[in-house]
Amino acid sequence: MMANDAKPDVKTVQVLRDTANRLRIHSIRATCASGSGQLTSCCSAAEVVSVLFFHTMKYKQTDPEHPDNDRFILSRGHAAPILYAAWVEVGDISESDLLNLRKLHSDLERHPTPRLPFVDVATGSLGQGLGTACGMAYTGKYLDKASHRVFCLMGDGESSEGSVWEAFAFASHYNLDNLVAVFDVNRLGQSGPAPLEHGADIYQNCCEAFGWNTYLVDGHDVEALCQAFWQASQVKNKPTAIVAKTFKGRGIPNIEDAENWHGKPVPKERADAIVKLIESQIQTNENLIPKSPVEDSPQISITDIKMTSPPAYKVGDKIATQKTYGLALAKLGRANERVIVLSGDTMNSTFSEIFRKEHPERFIECIIAEQNMVSVALGCATRGRTIAFAGAFAAFFTRAFDQLRMGAISQANINLIGSHCGVSTGEDGVSQMALEDLAMFRSTPNCTVFYPSDAISTEHAIYLAANTKGMCFIRTSQPETAVIYTPQENFEIGQAKVVRHGVNDKVTVIGAGVTLHEALEAADHLSQQGISVRVIDPFTIKPLDAATIISSAKATGGRVITVEDHYREGGIGEAVCAAVSREPDILVHQLAVSGVPQRGKTSELLDMFGISTRHIIAAVTLTLMK
Amino acid sequence: MTSPPAYKVGDKIATQKTYGLALAKLGRANERVIVLSGDTMNSTFSEIFRKEHPERFIECIIAEQNMVSVALGCATRGRTIAFAGAFAAFFTRAFDQLRMGAISQANINLIGSHCGVSTGEDGVSQMALEDLAMFRSIPNCTVFYPSDAISTEHAIYLAANTKGMCFIRTSQPETAVIYTPQENFEIGQAKVVRHGVNDKVTVIGAGVTLHEALEAADHLSQQGISVRVIDPFTIKPLDAATIISSAKATGGRVITVEDHYREGGIGEAVCAAVSREPDILVHQLAVSGVPQRGKTSELLDMFGISTRHIIAAVTLTLMK
Repeated sequence: MMANDAKPDVKTVQVLRDTANRLRIHSIRATCASGSGQLTSCCSAAEVVSVLFFHTMKYKQTDPEHPDNDRFILSRGHAAPILYAAWVEVGDISESDLLNLRKLHSDLERHPTPRLPFVDVATGSLGQGLGTACGMAYTGKYLDKASHRVFCLMGDGESSEGSVWEAFAFASHYNLDNLVAVFDVNRLGQSGPAPLEHGADIYQNCCEAFGWNTYLVDGHDVEALCQAFWQASQVKNKPTAIVAKTFKGRGIPNIEDAENWHGKPVPKERADAIVKLIESQIQTNENLIPKSPVEDSPQISITDIKMTSPPAYKVGDKIATQKTYGLALAKLGRANERVIVLSGDTMNSTFSEIFRKEHPERFIECIIAEQNMVSVALGCATRGRTIAFAGAFAAFFTRAFDQLRMGAISQANINLIGSHCGVSTGEDGVSQMALEDLAMFRSTPNCTVFYPSDAISTEHAIYLAANTKGMCFIRTSQPETAVIYTPQENFEIGQAKVVRHGVNDKVTVIGAGVTLHEALEAADHLSQQGISVRVIDPFTIKPLDAATIISSAKATGGRVITVEDHYREGGIGEAVCAAVSREPDILVHQLAVSGVPQRGKTSELLDMFGISTRHIIAAVTLTLMK
Repeated sequence: MTSPPAYKVGDKIATQKTYGLALAKLGRANERVIVLSGDTMNSTFSEIFRKEHPERFIECIIAEQNMVSVALGCATRGRTIAFAGAFAAFFTRAFDQLRMGAISQANINLIGSHCGVSTGEDGVSQMALEDLAMFRSIPNCTVFYPSDAISTEHAIYLAANTKGMCFIRTSQPETAVIYTPQENFEIGQAKVVRHGVNDKVTVIGAGVTLHEALEAADHLSQQGISVRVIDPFTIKPLDAATIISSAKATGGRVITVEDHYREGGIGEAVCAAVSREPDILVHQLAVSGVPQRGKTSELLDMFGISTRHIIAAVTLTLMK
């Protein structure tokens, strides 16, 4: 068997070659029918895809999402037709569906999306596939302890993305010997030769420098590919990179290796002739059946995780929400063994070390590489294998906005926890302060945005996030703030809390995190002056509890003040303004951080940048004068 | 600007093609203008600049974080006027670099193409639907969203002459030129592009949705309903004064329509701008849900921001 895997017999080799050519033909027909498409990138990868799908990989043909299957990621997403062509050959897609490539309502898009069962993560923004492959490989090796392997196909152009090399470092560091990365080095990028052209030995040197086992092969030589993939499976403790030297547009006369064909299909007039030419090289009429996977992934459950005991705080305790989240994660980790935590070298600062001490086998240190951390989290969460929480300074999630954006498109199920939000971070200065993260996460589709204001609501946010499909972001702060809820309080997504109210409230004040506490302090001061204000804690900024806000506004003369430790754009103020925009007679006065902050003590900064108790009192007073 | 933009009303050209032509023209006006590209030359027309001024064109290949950082470096000590071009969606790859650029009081200009669902066939991974939220949240960043070739060219010149970061959002579909070459443009100055005596509603659109709004206005006027249409030109700073006075003149009825998600874009900017004015209500149309690929016109309609949807929103607003 093993000899057969490394050196398939003559007939198998021919069938693999023929399959590669059939993949080319499918790609030509599909891109021709839709009038555009990355045909030339498909042609260069045909042999690699043929060997992977019909010789090397082990998977259930009729159950592409099965957890025991080998995983395949097409990082070079614009070569999607070759992926679809492979599944046509497997039998999961019909040829007629393939001809509807890129039309409205077809799930076969120009770049793969997980609307398709055989696509785990959307690709199309280059350089992200390998990071997610690392997440899948890490989960398979260390968490599932299963036999399945992960294969990631990349283009040479995309190797310019730094994220690729973050993933290389991660895979090597964690000895991911179940991971194989293939570089399809076809020489040409979108507008001209990729920087290293055919310098495939340079790719080889880079991969080896990162500690990977590396092979340099002729990417059109089926036998060499079979050998290389088999050898990769025998190597322990190192991931394998296969640098496949290929030609863009291989098999299409006058297009092979010519510049400026990126994104262009074969003109219809020539298509039939080219298809005939390729068909004439096909010698057999056979299909190979993919090998079955080893079934050794554990049965798991990641749904319906309950809080085993109420949060262990009492009203008045003072604790930072960013410390609370660390404690809550450790507690959650006891409730379900698939909860994992990833960290971006911020262990000391974000208290995820608490989790690490308790559940070290489920803690993944991602070092200072936020893009890769997010991609790894995405990979870990695919096929529902883990409940992943990734923690970093909230400001540094901006480093991974494209990965988050693609994660949303992938319908990913990861949870991000940002600490050190806002000017209240204080002494470390503005580069460490997140002042735009609410705008970023709010603009991410289907992302739930939690902004808990005390320890109890933070713990609830963690549990809700674990149980909620789609991405979740939890914004936490550095300063110690008082616990304001009792352990029995219940929390729901999209449900605000009215934390202060009287009979004759004149104004509604909405704050979150530190500004909720500033608002409560302002309410205390104002009540001493005989002015009663209502204070709302939104708990989730997205979805926002518009109903509670509107009814409260109506009960307070239509006067609303919002106050947030965030810039003006895209945050709580704008969310509230939008929510009440179709209600007559509600006016909103927004307090937010005005201007680029500097460092200082928390209380000084809150005051200097317009969001302290004093400013809230002034805003209430001004509002009441009108 | 050495000569007025060379377009006439009615010409059809994509704003993302215009920016390429405008950059080349700007490059003739000042020899410190440089253009950086993220391997998207063919798609974003910065190749026009490259052909004319090859020594001032920096190919940054597929590495957007680095492209933004390189632009920041090029612009330090006032040595260059740097423009970096990419698909708008891929600037999200460089948000941390942009954030730090603002903290650095950097003076770079970013041009994003392929914005919104109007990008069409290439699918959602290539469409920018959150870039306005991102760039608006960057301190001191001017956000231009020109709706035709003439205003795009003006945006390029204004950006070159403006301190601080500037972002110019451009689109793929061909749209009509609606301004004359003599029209003047300023940052923070909106244009009322359609108005009558008895306008009932103010509609605010930009890029492709401005053209959808104009088409809606045509249809509605045939039904005897007159609407005012505003082109904000810059989303940040937003011309709140024009919007508020227009809203007051149209019974407090405002509709916003944008090729962008709901959060952090034109709708929320307008809602915030009018939030302290009594009696102004805003109905926001924006892209609802994660798009798929399709033809531009199909997607605009499927995701709630086409002419038909604007007409429906006007009708609904007038019923109240």
